Amino acid sequence: MRDTWNSFVKFFISLRVTVVLLALSIILIFAATLDQVNLGIWAVQEKYFRTFFVLWDVKGFPLPVFPGGYFIGGLLLINLVASHVYRFKLTWKKSGILLTHAGLIILLVGELLTGLWQEEFQLRLDQGQTRNYSESYRFNELAVVDATDPNWDQVVAIPEERLQQRDEIQHERLPFRIVTRAYYPNAAVQMREELGNASAPPPATRDIGARLAIIPIPLTYKQNERNLPAAVIELLGPSNVSLGTWVVSTMLVQPQTFDYAGRTWRLAMRFERAYKPYSLTLLKFSHDRYVGTEIPKNFASKVRLHSQDGSTDREVLIYMNNPLRFDGLTFYQAGFDNNDTTTVLQVVRNPSWILPYIACAMMGIGLLIQFGIHLFAFINKRRA
Amino acid sequence: MPSRRLLLLPALAALLAASGCRDAKIATYRVPRETPPPAAANAQSADPHAGLGIPPVNAASSPAPAMPTDMASTAVPTASGGDLSWTTPANWQSRAASAMRKATFIIPGESAGEQAELAVTAFPGDVGGNLANVNRWRQQLQLAPISASELDSALTHLHAGDLHIDVAELLGPVPADGKPRQRVLGAIVPFNGATWFFKLTGPDALVSREKSAYLAFVQTIRPSR
Repeated sequence: MRDTWNSFVKFFISLRVTVVLLALSIILIFAATLDQVNLGIWAVQEKYFRTFFVLWDVKGFPLPVFPGGYFIGGLLLINLVASHVYRFKLTWKKSGILLTHAGLIILLVGELLTGLWQEEFQLRLDQGQTRNYSESYRFNELAVVDATDPNWDQVVAIPEERLQQRDEIQHERLPFRIVTRAYYPNAAVQMREELGNASAPPPATRDIGARLAIIPIPLTYKQNERNLPAAVIELLGPSNVSLGTWVVSTMLVQPQTFDYAGRTWRLAMRFERAYKPYSLTLLKFSHDRYVGTEIPKNFASKVRLHSQDGSTDREVLIYMNNPLRFDGLTFYQAGFDNNDTTTVLQVVRNPSWILPYIACAMMGIGLLIQFGIHLFAFINKRRA
Repeated sequence: MPSRRLLLLPALAALLAASGCRDAKIATYRVPRETPPPAAANAQSADPHAGLGIPPVNAASSPAPAMPTDMASTAVPTASGGDLSWTTPANWQSRAASAMRKATFIIPGESAGEQAELAVTAFPGDVGGNLANVNRWRQQLQLAPISASELDSALTHLHAGDLHIDVAELLGPVPADGKPRQRVLGAIVPFNGATWFFKLTGPDALVSREKSAYLAFVQTIRPSR
């Protein structure tokens, strides 16, 4: 038992393992960089770095072909920690190396926590518009809204993944079950009469779905594009009585309304929303250009921040490199639209944002100490 | 103490295993009543989708209607634009474009009520590729789909400026109800990350008569300036 443990430890503290892992990470980064042309930054991160294995699709079957970022990073972390536990002894001469390695450990852990905890949304505001929610630009949801109350909307937000998995969705707040009959990760919807394809049956029986055709589109991985999912869903009441089928799509701007069980319901596939106890109103968006050119000089959004409890009510100017930090979120100036009358703010929550700064500072100081020790030793040697 | 150190490994493994899982839980909440977004056009509009809330499909933009201009891409303002333009024969009558169409033209026939229609549409991406698009048109005419090996012979390849244009010609079966046989001339034009379709549909005789005018028309397609 003791021998097994020793050989186990010997393996994990081996410098050879470190070198192999570093070599693998170089290959991984190289491949991911090349593949970014095809997949874009988000998909590359998911496929190569935020995964245990890089999968290769062979005739619809995903085969692991290379260790992913979590695998290599995890082993590097174990390798580094184990080496410190078993090998290093705290001496003044090695204090710089120890500090540098501790910084590296924090950097690895920080990246893992960023992958786990970071949330990114966007907030799009037209001039004069007020919003109390931001929207995801990667994830979507099916919102089933009980709109009976004249003052309040009771929302059941179902993540797109649940539709994709074709789960039968039953929720205590809904008097019906939701079954996905068809799911398209990226699709355009078009009026059937315009396709001249009246012979093909409509995809759904209720509302606009009876007049639409769904045109599947290949998934896009470009950074400035997003996939627009669509689905055909059936609502089933008690005793499996069908209430009909609906087409839901992020391309449909208007929600679809129907009455059931004495209540009014709205259905909408939309970008996933994150509501906040405060709102932002866009007072003015400025897009300054260098005189006589179309080259942008400055983007700025003057917004009013108003919390529901009345504790905050102030005007804020958000411009490039000067975000608003509020409620654990950072609002960056990210884009614009509609002839400079719409602003787009990137909304980021990253509780571990400080870790890379701490890690870099520790590594910098550690290297300075280590080189300093060697430098002074060298000078003293020459003097002697 | 190996046993204490042993705890380190499962702890790290658990941390790693927790990664990669996105919470796909159903959320419920109550928000102040929201007014649904205004319809794209009012009921008096020529837009056939008025009030339905279908956003226009704009080939120049991304597939996401809500995707705004990224500031990183604004340093080269000349890269903006992205529509196509063309010159139509004098006898083609323009109709109002709709939310889903870039343009519509009506070509009147010899007899009253006889007409062919040219629809110009654009979609992001390649809309499944040429084979899928040709087979979609074939299906509309109740024709059997063709295979990939037959595709090349079904298309005529043209060039207009820097644009590559694939033209398909399809003749539908003789209808049982005595109506005229339908012919389709369809041009597929990839441009700026989108695919434009110029589809002329109408009675066989009329579309055959207009074929040379149609081919001359597709050669005039150019990126808008």
